[in-house]
Amino acid sequence: MAERKKPVDAVIIGYGWTGAIMAKALTDAGLSVVALERGPALDTSPDFEYPRIADELKYGVRGDLWQPLAKETVTVRHTVNDTAVPYRKYGSFILGNGVGGAGVHWNGMVWRVSPEDLRFRSHIEQRYGKAFIPKDMTIQDYPVTFAELEPHFDHFEKVCGVSGIAGNLRGHIRAGGNPFEGARGDEYPTPPLPEIYFGQLFDKATAELGYKSFPLPAANSSVAYTNPYGVRLGPCNMCGFCERFGCFLYSKASPQTTILPILADRKNLEVRTGAYVTKILRDKTRTMATGVRYIDENGSEVEQPADLVVLSAFQLHNVRLLLLSGIGTPYDPGSGKGVVGKNYAYQMSSGTAVYFNEDVEINPFIGAGAAGKRAIDEFNSDHYDHAELGFIGGSLILAGATGGRPIDQMMLPPDTPAWGTGWKAAVRKHYGHSAPIGTLGSVMSYRDRYLSLDPTYTDGHGLPLLRITFDWHDNETRMAAYTAAKIEEIVRAMKPEKQATALIRPGDHYDVRFYQSTHTTGGAIMGSNPGNSVVNRYSQSWDLPNLFVYGASAFPQNFGGAPTGLLAGLAYFSAAKIRDFYLKSPGPLVQA
Amino acid sequence: MRQPSLFDRRRFLLGAAPAVTIAALGVSACAQRNGHTDPSTYSPTYFSAAEWVFINAAVGRLIPAEEGGPGGVQAGVPEFIDRQMELPYGHGAYFYMKGPFLPDSPATLGYQLRYSPREIYRLGIAAANLATQESQGKAFALLAPVDQDSFLERMEKGDVHFPSVPSLVFFGQLLGNCKEGYFADPLYGGNRGMLAWQWIGFPGARADFTDWMDQAGRIYPYGPVSISGVRA
Amino acid sequence: MAGGALVALLASVAVSYVSDHRAGEKSLTVPAPTAAVIARGAYLARLGDCAACHSLPARPAFSGGLRMRTPIGAIYTTNITPDPSHGIGRFTLADFDRALRFGVAKGHTLYPAMPYTSYYNTTPEDVAALYAYFKYAVPAASVPNRPSDIMFPLSMRWPLTFWRWLFAPKPSPFAPMPGMTPEVAKGAYFAEGLGHCGECHTPRGIFLEVRAATVADGPAYLSGAVIENYFAASLRSDGPGTLGEWSADDVTQFLLTGGNTRGIAFGSMSDVITHSTQFMTSEDAVAMAKYLKTLGFPNAAAQAPFVYDATEHSALKNGDASKPGAMLYLDNCAACHRPDGMGYERVFPRLSGNPIVQAPNPLSVVSIVLEGSRTPRTGAAPAQFTMPGFAWRLSDQDVADLVNFVRTSWGNQASVTTVDAVTRTRSSVR
Repeated sequence: MAERKKPVDAVIIGYGWTGAIMAKALTDAGLSVVALERGPALDTSPDFEYPRIADELKYGVRGDLWQPLAKETVTVRHTVNDTAVPYRKYGSFILGNGVGGAGVHWNGMVWRVSPEDLRFRSHIEQRYGKAFIPKDMTIQDYPVTFAELEPHFDHFEKVCGVSGIAGNLRGHIRAGGNPFEGARGDEYPTPPLPEIYFGQLFDKATAELGYKSFPLPAANSSVAYTNPYGVRLGPCNMCGFCERFGCFLYSKASPQTTILPILADRKNLEVRTGAYVTKILRDKTRTMATGVRYIDENGSEVEQPADLVVLSAFQLHNVRLLLLSGIGTPYDPGSGKGVVGKNYAYQMSSGTAVYFNEDVEINPFIGAGAAGKRAIDEFNSDHYDHAELGFIGGSLILAGATGGRPIDQMMLPPDTPAWGTGWKAAVRKHYGHSAPIGTLGSVMSYRDRYLSLDPTYTDGHGLPLLRITFDWHDNETRMAAYTAAKIEEIVRAMKPEKQATALIRPGDHYDVRFYQSTHTTGGAIMGSNPGNSVVNRYSQSWDLPNLFVYGASAFPQNFGGAPTGLLAGLAYFSAAKIRDFYLKSPGPLVQA
Repeated sequence: MRQPSLFDRRRFLLGAAPAVTIAALGVSACAQRNGHTDPSTYSPTYFSAAEWVFINAAVGRLIPAEEGGPGGVQAGVPEFIDRQMELPYGHGAYFYMKGPFLPDSPATLGYQLRYSPREIYRLGIAAANLATQESQGKAFALLAPVDQDSFLERMEKGDVHFPSVPSLVFFGQLLGNCKEGYFADPLYGGNRGMLAWQWIGFPGARADFTDWMDQAGRIYPYGPVSISGVRA
Repeated sequence: MAGGALVALLASVAVSYVSDHRAGEKSLTVPAPTAAVIARGAYLARLGDCAACHSLPARPAFSGGLRMRTPIGAIYTTNITPDPSHGIGRFTLADFDRALRFGVAKGHTLYPAMPYTSYYNTTPEDVAALYAYFKYAVPAASVPNRPSDIMFPLSMRWPLTFWRWLFAPKPSPFAPMPGMTPEVAKGAYFAEGLGHCGECHTPRGIFLEVRAATVADGPAYLSGAVIENYFAASLRSDGPGTLGEWSADDVTQFLLTGGNTRGIAFGSMSDVITHSTQFMTSEDAVAMAKYLKTLGFPNAAAQAPFVYDATEHSALKNGDASKPGAMLYLDNCAACHRPDGMGYERVFPRLSGNPIVQAPNPLSVVSIVLEGSRTPRTGAAPAQFTMPGFAWRLSDQDVADLVNFVRTSWGNQASVTTVDAVTRTRSSVR
């Protein structure tokens, strides 16, 4: 018999970025809140302390900060007809665990979607005609606009102390910034960090080709900075142990460094770690959520009743928990019916490695996840004419490595022997003189790419794992080839000794063995009505008005860029509505 | 533009003789600090004597001592691997190891075997020695280096048939751990004396480039430091 | 001979008894405990930081029980809730005043761990407000007092009476020195009194008495002292290693937020900031700051100001780490405190021109290098920053080299730290 806790006003499932954002918003409003996190309590001290955090093997390769796959993983298959098998070892993406979630070991890139990304279907149809979109491509518009989200993007950037240069400030295009960005109300809160050397070489080459490079917006404050909550942030020193690691300098924005310090003394907030939520509970009529059931760190079942349930457990876990709880109709790719699990997408990553001669001191170990890198947006989204190209979407092109960690970030030309004296000579010759240009490419959603519960494999508690059915479509491989060609042009302008492009080509299958991106999206998408989505524009479940779901699970398709800026903006947008309307008058915020 | 600094360590190492011993490099003090032992005196915990001989021979070919810089054996890679086998990693604790196992799944869906790293080594070494015994009448370690290289290449391609762990899986495990042991922080038993870091010019656990962010293109002048504070 | 000693002993005990029972004011008017008076009492209790010793985290507020080491054994703080049996529920205002200002309670002199030697100057109105707070606003907690661990005969109290005679300032309401502005006088009242700064920041003699109790007592007052494993900085403004470079505003910021652009609190002072001074009104904090800035040589303003020296930073930036300790600095400290020694404002304290770094006694620097430190969390500065300890990574020689580097770089000029000093500190922090 599960222990039943005293009811609270709100329970939060998953204490990462959106969990922390909502914990602040709801406790600000005076609610009693319990935040449940299945992983451990983590904080800069003692968990990311210098110098022990600078351990590539422990954190960069073994992944001691990540979700332990032994306890829970996902299964993957390429098509509906295949048998899914477990993602037994880390490769393609990295899953967070613990307080802060992936917000602890992310790259720190805070990206704003292009305005048209939020209404991509309509935009493409208007520009190129309805027939331009293949029938099996199930992309949708968001029910919210860039203008509505802009103040919330701005707020999140200020909370994180994001460093960058505004390219479009209130309609004025400004030199040094991204000319393609949607109009911003305000400049970035801090100026960019010095660009890495390879960034300078990239700038020169792209300028020759007429492109407008800009600093990648980074959640690393570059000057002494206090965020709007009164929390002070530390300085980035380009230590090269960024993504996969916790930041020892209080610089890379995480819930710990930006929000949690002001929640520490709140009497109306209780955080329980080691609390693994297994089900969102509903009343008999199944129209209201009544709380959650979880397994505590002793292995006992506990029930936490609550009037409001926040599901902020990361894109994949959000969908899994909805399916495990039987909330909403699971998507069936055959009939096309149901919405939970629909429109799963990913990120198309490609890149060109550039090998210079030994006179060029790249110093790859001087790097950060986002700070110091440079980018161009010319070939992203619909910033260029696709009429004759045979695909839609595009890629953000980014220059520079995030560090020079020798096990994982060694860059060698493809013809290098994998071992022996040839390998040894190559690491000597190329380490310190090579750098990558990579992409964050859009991935559309398709009828046959979705999430569901696996029929065979289970987690440590015997519950079904989430199953990913995903493979590349030609749209994405064509898009990747196009942007790869543009990158090769840039690289030729740099006049390196050698270059090598890594590309997923038409016919290549999704390969889980190699890290590509953790930008998995969709499955609990946001839309205009319950027929086409799981949540409305306020992230509120169409099925249960007192359930709100936050994260990239809301994205109906993925764009060229990192998801955190958008998912945080959506959370703040929702929090405002909850504060101003929902709490006074609970119920559906959008009429279906 | 190359700006030589006061102490260009990489130039120094290029001139160093390849067969230099650990003691001559003066790293015994830091060896003590890191809990290292001389490669010739380390006694394995997991690997049997015969397996240990195989490991040293294979590592000696995968990262040879020639061409400057430390060889894998000199760097302590065999010790690293042995110690890893005693950690949760060696027991497969980092992987999802529940069945059913479908080893014929497409390679793109990742590792689908039931073997932990410990088992991969145990089974793989036995199978490798059996294979070389059958084809060339000797255990792997007793083959001439050029024959060892050929055998490793065949394993790498999966051209040798092993009864349980496929040869290319075993090879991949071994090569992967080799590179980890070569470049990881010395506290794990490999990268002895941080020679591998010096070889490529990686500063190790310094993790501070405050003064170097705005000196783009300049040679970084400082050698590496390990997590336990030892300097090369 | 023995007989004479015995008579002297008995006489001493008798004299002590009489003195303890006669100490204090005879009659005190008890004002009505209005909400305003009680609020004032609560505020003063924060200023006096009664909770620091009398409140433990897992126990009811002010119920005592904190273990304090003395050279003769451990003592435990008492229950000062209004509980009638175990607390001060039966204390009259006169009893309360006697304990607070005279150091006498329940018939004997208190161990001067209770800083009555500082509280002696509290005005009658403020004593009454404190009394009202403790009697009417603090919940009574029936928590018994724990007897001290001191063994007989050392547990006899009468020697404390003599100590009190010899060393405790005569209890009398605060009187400003001639020339003090009302604002500075208010600051003096708090600093010399309830703030009890001298209990940590003034050096002590062999009988553990402070060498100076007020500004009138000369340059020893608040000139810095060893407390636990730290050297509490000089709060005066008479040279390097003091607050000479700090403005009154710097001091105010420090009291209210735990740090300023020149330094951040550590050790016990972190607790003082968190539990006490961050709650001061800005007027009171400014007053205390202005008072502290009057402490120093008459020509404090004319002393040579600290001058930053870029030599060490230039060297490091150019690949030259030849100065002893420089490489240790680069490997352990520079990531946060920066190669220029300037730290990062309000996150990692600057070392250049830092009074603790330049103090004649390097104890704080050595302790912090070994054990690390955590900045205080205050309402105005909610983020906490933790420096890890480096005892596991550095030998005693390393620590000495490193501390010497830091204390002689970027314009810092301070004395040499020996390896022996590090060894001794390491064994005492363990």
